Amino acid sequence: MTVKTHKTKPPRKRRGGFGSKQEQRFAYLMLLPALALVLIFRVIPLIWGFFLSLTNVDTLGNGDWVGFANYARAANDPTFQDSLINTVILLATLPIWVMLPMLLAILIHQGVPGGKFYRAVYFFPAVLSSVIIGAIFSVVLRYDGSLNNMLGAVGIDAIDWLGSSSNALGSLIAVQLWSTFGMGVLIFMSGLATVPDDIIEAARIDGAGFWQRLFLVIVPSLRPIIEFVAVVTTIGVLTSMFGLIYVLTGGGPGTSTTLPEFLIWLEQGKLNRPGYAAAISMILFVMMGGIAWMQVRIMSRNTNL
Amino acid sequence: MSKPAKRDRRILWAASVPMMLLALSCVYPIYFAINNALKDRKGYILDRFGLVTDPSIENFVTAWSRARFDEYFFNSVTVTAGAVLALLLVSSLAGFALAVLRFPARKLIFGVILASLMIPVQVVLVPFYQTIVALELLNTRIGLILSYTAFFLPFSTYLMTAFYAALPRELVDAARVDGAKFLQVWWYVMLPMGKPALLTLGILNTLYCWNDVLISLLVLQDERTLMVGIAALRGEYTTNVPLLSAAIVLGAAPIVLLYVIFQRKIVAGIATGAVKG
Repeated sequence: MTVKTHKTKPPRKRRGGFGSKQEQRFAYLMLLPALALVLIFRVIPLIWGFFLSLTNVDTLGNGDWVGFANYARAANDPTFQDSLINTVILLATLPIWVMLPMLLAILIHQGVPGGKFYRAVYFFPAVLSSVIIGAIFSVVLRYDGSLNNMLGAVGIDAIDWLGSSSNALGSLIAVQLWSTFGMGVLIFMSGLATVPDDIIEAARIDGAGFWQRLFLVIVPSLRPIIEFVAVVTTIGVLTSMFGLIYVLTGGGPGTSTTLPEFLIWLEQGKLNRPGYAAAISMILFVMMGGIAWMQVRIMSRNTNL
Repeated sequence: MSKPAKRDRRILWAASVPMMLLALSCVYPIYFAINNALKDRKGYILDRFGLVTDPSIENFVTAWSRARFDEYFFNSVTVTAGAVLALLLVSSLAGFALAVLRFPARKLIFGVILASLMIPVQVVLVPFYQTIVALELLNTRIGLILSYTAFFLPFSTYLMTAFYAALPRELVDAARVDGAKFLQVWWYVMLPMGKPALLTLGILNTLYCWNDVLISLLVLQDERTLMVGIAALRGEYTTNVPLLSAAIVLGAAPIVLLYVIFQRKIVAGIATGAVKG
């Protein structure tokens, strides 16, 4: 038994030391719910999933270790290959995802008439569920939908936005970009607030034109924000497009809008080969792990713990 | 001096044309959903794009009573409310411990919780589903509440920790000297002091839980949440657009309301993490 717990409390050490035994015990107790949830639903499933990916277990729980056979199978699975190609195409559009909101934020910051209105309205689609966005655009982007109707009014021929495999991925990306760019505008706006106005003003007095100030003064000072938006967007497009794919295109036509996260869902739904679905999950985890690690680093740097 | 300023203004005016079009597209969903929801099926077929001529609330009645959106709505409300409360409670407790108390492995635990951001639900879809089944949480609302709490927790814990770490330490020490137990310090000092951060988190987590579809599809398979219900209503070729629109209005209305009331809070919350310190 500990003798001196209650009566003689040791003076609390201020710098770097730990609190009393009671304080420590209490801290662990307070962290228990958070840790338990994160471990039970995320960390242990991740480890469990890795082992699962090395087996050919069926629904009844019978199966053998198959080593990396599921991974080899993924490498030769045309559907998985297509989902990777789609991911590469998606990631190739990343500069637009970063630069469009940046440009809009700078224009608002520089005093576009009605800037406050734009800021509020641009963010609106970002609060809507991807299911709602997907449901609306599934009607709007139909061959006989309102977008083609509007284009027809200005003399542009109807385009099969969702039904042709050459357009569907582009449409999906455009809708996702449209629904999230407002978030980027907000983040850039709050970054611009930290750029001292006198630097911009000084450049103006020195005779720098609008575009010179933009590219030589403002954009360089936004570097940390650009970094952050790029990281967050990359994670976002790798892991938060499920709802939109599910409602808007269902991964098709064919595999043209199937991304890895949607393929995992399809494989999981078949239920007969969880090992294979787990293997694709692991590949997705490795793909985004590095990028997500950067986000965690940025966030913990900001907390200054 | 005045010349460059004039040129600036011209550039800004020129930019406001495409910016206005973009803004119009952002509010178009509201027009689309409400306008179509008020048309009856025949009215929609006759005039799909025009303004509704003979508005009726028939679609809302159908969605609510016959398409079981009353149940879906109730499910969404219950699950969202439960998960948001759990998230606030758990993250505030954890944030207090991580920011204020001193104990071994503090940074490690903070790291583990934050690092679980790297494990989105897609990455653990199969084992997560098996866990839900093994714990007999499949098709239970409490299962969905716990799942939401687990998956939205890291950001909440991060925000509460950062918020509490910025409070002056003297607050806690003063309360401690007065003989308050830690639980009392949390209840009487940290919770009231944390209100601004808790409000932000309450709003953001409401958005996340209400809008989710993937976790809900997995955990609540027999009953549905609103978003799963809307997704199901969108059949491939025979979608009843007016009915779908009515369901969209039902599903979006609470969120739009939240957005209108708390726009500033939402904006500030989203921007946190990006630029701080």
